Amino acid sequence: MTDELDLLRGAKVSKPDAQARARALEAGLAEFDTVRTKGSAAARRPKGIATLWSDLMHRLNTATSPNAIAAVLVVGLAVPTAVLVMRDDPSMPQIELGQSTDDVAEVTSRPDAPDAQLHQGPLIVDREAVTQAPAPAEPEATPAPRMAVPETAPNVLRRAQESEGIELRATPSVQAIRPSENGLVLLPHPTETYANDVSAGRLSVLEDPISTFSIDVDTASYARLRRELEAGRMPPPEMVRTEEVVNAFDYAYPAPDSRDTPFRATATLTDSPFTPGARLLHIGIKGYDLPPEARPPANLVFLVDMSGSMDAPDKLPLLVRSLRLLLAELRPQDRVAIVGYAGAAGTILPSTPASDRQAIEAALDGLMAGGGTAGAAGIEAAYALAEEAFIEDGANRVILATDGDFNVGTSSPDALEDLIAEKRETGIGLTVLGFGTGNLRDDTMQALAQAGDGIAAYIDTLSEARHVLGLEAQGALYTIASDVKLQVEFNPAAIAEYRLLGYETRALATRDFDDDRVDAGEIGAGHEVTAIYELYPEEDRPLRYGEAATVEAADAPEELGYLQIRHKRPGEDESRLIATPIRLAEAVPFAQTSDDLRFSVAAAGFAERLRGTETGRETDWEALEALARAALGDDPDGRRRQLADLIDLAGALDR
Amino acid sequence: MNVMRRHRTRPDADLAARALAGDRAAMGALLDRHYDLMFRVAFRALGRRDAAEDVAQDVCVKLARGLANWSREGRFETWLYRVVLNAAHDAGRRLARDGRLRDEWAREPRETVTGSDDDRADTMWRAVRRLPPAQAEAITLVYGEGLSHAEAAATMGCATATVGYHVHAARTRLREMMEEEAA
Repeated sequence: MTDELDLLRGAKVSKPDAQARARALEAGLAEFDTVRTKGSAAARRPKGIATLWSDLMHRLNTATSPNAIAAVLVVGLAVPTAVLVMRDDPSMPQIELGQSTDDVAEVTSRPDAPDAQLHQGPLIVDREAVTQAPAPAEPEATPAPRMAVPETAPNVLRRAQESEGIELRATPSVQAIRPSENGLVLLPHPTETYANDVSAGRLSVLEDPISTFSIDVDTASYARLRRELEAGRMPPPEMVRTEEVVNAFDYAYPAPDSRDTPFRATATLTDSPFTPGARLLHIGIKGYDLPPEARPPANLVFLVDMSGSMDAPDKLPLLVRSLRLLLAELRPQDRVAIVGYAGAAGTILPSTPASDRQAIEAALDGLMAGGGTAGAAGIEAAYALAEEAFIEDGANRVILATDGDFNVGTSSPDALEDLIAEKRETGIGLTVLGFGTGNLRDDTMQALAQAGDGIAAYIDTLSEARHVLGLEAQGALYTIASDVKLQVEFNPAAIAEYRLLGYETRALATRDFDDDRVDAGEIGAGHEVTAIYELYPEEDRPLRYGEAATVEAADAPEELGYLQIRHKRPGEDESRLIATPIRLAEAVPFAQTSDDLRFSVAAAGFAERLRGTETGRETDWEALEALARAALGDDPDGRRRQLADLIDLAGALDR
Repeated sequence: MNVMRRHRTRPDADLAARALAGDRAAMGALLDRHYDLMFRVAFRALGRRDAAEDVAQDVCVKLARGLANWSREGRFETWLYRVVLNAAHDAGRRLARDGRLRDEWAREPRETVTGSDDDRADTMWRAVRRLPPAQAEAITLVYGEGLSHAEAAATMGCATATVGYHVHAARTRLREMMEEEAA
């Protein structure tokens, strides 16, 4: 395939026709002249997009704070609904998955299930005040219906004007949703677009009834944004990945009983604390936790970046201490090797039984930073060691620890990814641990860990190391279900739109769900994975084609949607399917959901707030903090309290 | 002519600033410099010379009008790619509505009004045009235009990793399509 793709590269488009070119330039210049001559008489024609846009932004910035952006969006949203849920508390109805391949899970119904309005009072700033702010784009807010436009120049202009209306009404995030549908483009500011494009917007159930994504257990984003906040900076939105913030915490979702059931999924329907009238569909997946004695032996190769840049207290020394922590978790039958890369790659410790602690600790102590980075040679040496000490049916894994300098020499990052994916096929996974700030290439970390079926974690403190390597290590090392894909098909009679919080980099095409060749995320032993959808009863924009597209609502639909999870057992090529309907009758009011659920929602809300997504941008910091604090539960390691403190800190920085 | 020659070596940002200030020659030089890109990308997207010429012309007109919307923060071409891709997308939808594009796609490779010099590559590019839009865009930018994932991400307005994902997904899909073709 690779060579075939090179054909794509090689294929030249023949030279454009000289006459066509001349015509085009002439048309462009004619337009230029028109704009120039009329441009001075601005009053005679509508303002250009740029002017309108900057007017809008100016007014938003000076007059009303970001909330005014919300005011623009608020138009046509918000319809009260009945509200639902299930889970956790034994008195709650539950949907449980994972009993067997195509078992439709049993749903216990809650006798006193609420059927009326159970809205809990959303975490929203004073909407009245916001809506009364100078409504900037109001006149443009109702775009003329889009029409088919012939391609002559004057009509191009006309389309431009129509687009202006849409553009302005949309605000950046809507534009981000479907950039290609904005006839004319003309993105306002790349930076702004980027920030908003980080998040996916709402999808219409009519247009996209099926949502498909790969699960993700990375947590790097949370540690990075925490570091930013603690340094007194608001993290840039693109640093924040909602699913990674949510999944950075432990949740006591119901676990499967035996190893035959690799994981159990619990779906809960409740009301959204973020958006009035909206609901949340919360999906909590818990992997089977292997008891320590049942864990297969581990064959670990640490590939340690020893370049000069690692010579900082929060890098190599922290790495050494972190690895000591992990060492404490290992058993005599496990094996450890260490490869350093800096200038030249070298084996620092050949594969050694974990019982020989002295040798391993001596090697760790000997790690010194210095020199440039030659990652490619290092990674090859690491894989060679892993293959040499390969344990059949064991956890064979290379653990790359770096501050982000993936200097791969002559080979491209793509080639590195290919190498990692290839080794994964032979049974050797890759985990990426990031240290320090600065040149940490977050996207590269992600891509490599994804290729290696491992996690990408960011370690800034020893307590984070304990979390990632102590507890999470079990999950990271022992894959119990692979290529886990989740698909929800929504019932258009029940909701109009939905928005998956996070997982943007994990989106899959609908058909990839059933394609066993398409790689997806892993669930490790004892891991929890959470996915949260926000569901909206009504479209927040008038339908382009009016009523024609609405669904004949069968009275009171029973099902909100249908949840399917596909996964493979380790070593199997064929996937198994778990499926269950999500019934509307089983909703639970938000206040009655578990601490775990509410905390995960608070974490998601925090991430969405930092990103400024449509779900998050209206939430109030204090309310968000209160939501987290009310859901701390036992919090044995204090991590949940830490999140609440971070929300408080972010609120202070945002002022 | 002297003016044109001087303009020929000016950076895009300089030309754009001059054009915005009313320098007609600068506008002309900017369009001239990038016409090939517009045509090329439109051709990749649509697979038809006439349609690609229309789109390129369309974009020239839009640039003359909307140059002020370039924020000047990134490369001019990053923004231009977005403009061209959107214009091509719109044109593609109009053509699809007319059924013209489907005719084009249904045609055997040899009968194609070919713009590329290789039948096999031509077939592959036709397959690319049947990919979901984001995947097709990613392939067009990365393979067709030789952009890095980061550059493509800037144009597509997404994270770099997302481009990697689209390319990966596209490869998988293309492989399937080429197998179907072969079968």
